[in-house]
Amino acid sequence: MAGYNLKKISDFKWEIVKNIDLGMRVPGIIYADRELLEIAQEEKTLDQVINVAKLPGVINASFAMPDIHYGYGFPIGGVAAMDLEDGVISPGGVGFDISCGVRILRTNLSAEDVAKKLEEIIYNLFASIPKGIGSKGRIKLSKTEMDKVFTQGINWAIKSGYGWEEDGYFTEENGCMEGANPDYVSKEALGRGNDQVGSLGSGNHFIEIQKVTEIYNTTAAHVMGLELNQAAIMIHSGSRGLGHQICGDYLKVMQRSNFSNKINLPDRQLACAPINSPEGKRYYGAMVCAINYAMVNRHCLAHWVRRSMETVFGKSDRKLDLSLIYDVSHNIAKIESHDIGGQVKKVCVHRKGATRAFGPGRSEIPPAYKEIGQPVIVPGDMGRYSYIMTGTRAAMLESFGSTCHGAGRLMSRTRARKEIDSGKLKKDLSEKKGILVLAASLGGLAEEAPQAYKDVSKVVEVTHKAGLSEKVARLEPMGVIKG
Amino acid sequence: MPDYAFIDHLSDIGIEVKAGSPAELFENAALGMFSIMYDLKDVEAKEKEEISVKGKKGTDIEELLVSWLEKLLYVFETRKVLLCKFEITGIEVVKTIKYVNAFIYGERINLSRNKFYTAVKAPTYHMLEVKRSAKAGGKWTARIIFDV
Repeated sequence: MAGYNLKKISDFKWEIVKNIDLGMRVPGIIYADRELLEIAQEEKTLDQVINVAKLPGVINASFAMPDIHYGYGFPIGGVAAMDLEDGVISPGGVGFDISCGVRILRTNLSAEDVAKKLEEIIYNLFASIPKGIGSKGRIKLSKTEMDKVFTQGINWAIKSGYGWEEDGYFTEENGCMEGANPDYVSKEALGRGNDQVGSLGSGNHFIEIQKVTEIYNTTAAHVMGLELNQAAIMIHSGSRGLGHQICGDYLKVMQRSNFSNKINLPDRQLACAPINSPEGKRYYGAMVCAINYAMVNRHCLAHWVRRSMETVFGKSDRKLDLSLIYDVSHNIAKIESHDIGGQVKKVCVHRKGATRAFGPGRSEIPPAYKEIGQPVIVPGDMGRYSYIMTGTRAAMLESFGSTCHGAGRLMSRTRARKEIDSGKLKKDLSEKKGILVLAASLGGLAEEAPQAYKDVSKVVEVTHKAGLSEKVARLEPMGVIKG
Repeated sequence: MPDYAFIDHLSDIGIEVKAGSPAELFENAALGMFSIMYDLKDVEAKEKEEISVKGKKGTDIEELLVSWLEKLLYVFETRKVLLCKFEITGIEVVKTIKYVNAFIYGERINLSRNKFYTAVKAPTYHMLEVKRSAKAGGKWTARIIFDV
């Protein structure tokens, strides 16, 4: 897209100047250093940032987080807050994998404790966790039970014997977001989701045993129960076929609506409806069902991770201190209160490949973290690092309390398949880095190779310097299971 | 030989499909989508099912294509079958109410034997296009990006 004007605000913040001729209602704001910005320009990601700036009711700006990259409709790493009165809600601004997210469990094991039993841990997890294309879940639910998952979130799971009661306190929305309406979930979505609760999926989803290799903020790390050389376990998954179907269903509904026919959508994937319209309300009710389902999904996966660790170490999960540090979603739309021009107002914040990063003092974050800010989990690729950060007061003022979600891709999947040999990749990770990878689909592993992703350290550094989140700890993979 | 090719997209995977007719286009698109997930040569057409997909008033051919592919994904996921052959028995892409009827063939998933590549989550509307060329004997083409 020609004709946009880029202005430097600071070394880590750039503005696409609002251009009415391009149909922009607000400017674009990109949090990036020059190198990440240039990559975004080459990929034409800024065109997508501009397209989001055209949506009705968008407030302040169309934001791009430091891991921004080209997606479909919204860019991946895109954030947009909408006015509740005249703004829109967009399924594409949430994504097909509604509430794809990540959680991290601490342990009281050292890296050496884990290294001695790494093979056993990874093989046990591989056998126990449903994953990959075509696999069956361990839980099959009736319509009645699915409705409970939708409306009770992880409270259903805890009542059903999965996980710890206190896990809810350390999950966004306390493990159950309000506003779910099962009547708005299609039978096709139910059909896809009823045997996928507690399944990992495939692609970039994973369970990873990690070790803490650096602490940047000792106070925050101490509050979270993290220390150097400690083992931790990270789980990345989402709402599975249920979420994918809900997104597809409502993209159709919104494209057919009178509203969509009146506005000139720059990309059909941006199909939307006013938040207060019947279509908008139905999508919201269905989306929240998927969000609660995704949190239950990760909760159940964590339950089986705990069982595996108990089997390998011969001690209870409580004795191993396998407690949940936090669980975040990075494909989501939420109604939140934010300060806009000195007034507190409720808005609908879309985060597409972006994470909530609420700063210290916010009521939504657990009391344990009120002083340090909300934990932010930033998974990297399987060969390098992942990070824990905290939300900041600056993020509340800058980006509606939003931050990055991962590394962002550098190489397309088709190119990765052509250029990278999965077998060699697995061998190199093992021999050169001591990382044990077990994947249900060796064919798909090449697409997840470290070289297919940007360096997450760079993304995290820029995020930290832009003030959106603060670094707490760095972790490195020891063992990975993938679908 | 089905006529489709993978196209480069940074975060996902797309296909470009060519065909001599709308029916062939929809068949080739289905073959292209499933070839993202597994090698079609490894799957036998042991089971047969009849499906139909019907648009609503205002559905265009692009939405019909998406609905067709979504339905196939639904069958694949819920019935746990690998699909390998598609025979369209009826298709309407011009009138207001569009539809596609087909026999679809495949076999039950056997995890001890089947090898998979990348899971397809959904067809997207991003860069979605179905065209009929005025030249080259009216060849049909489609481009579709999948969320994987």
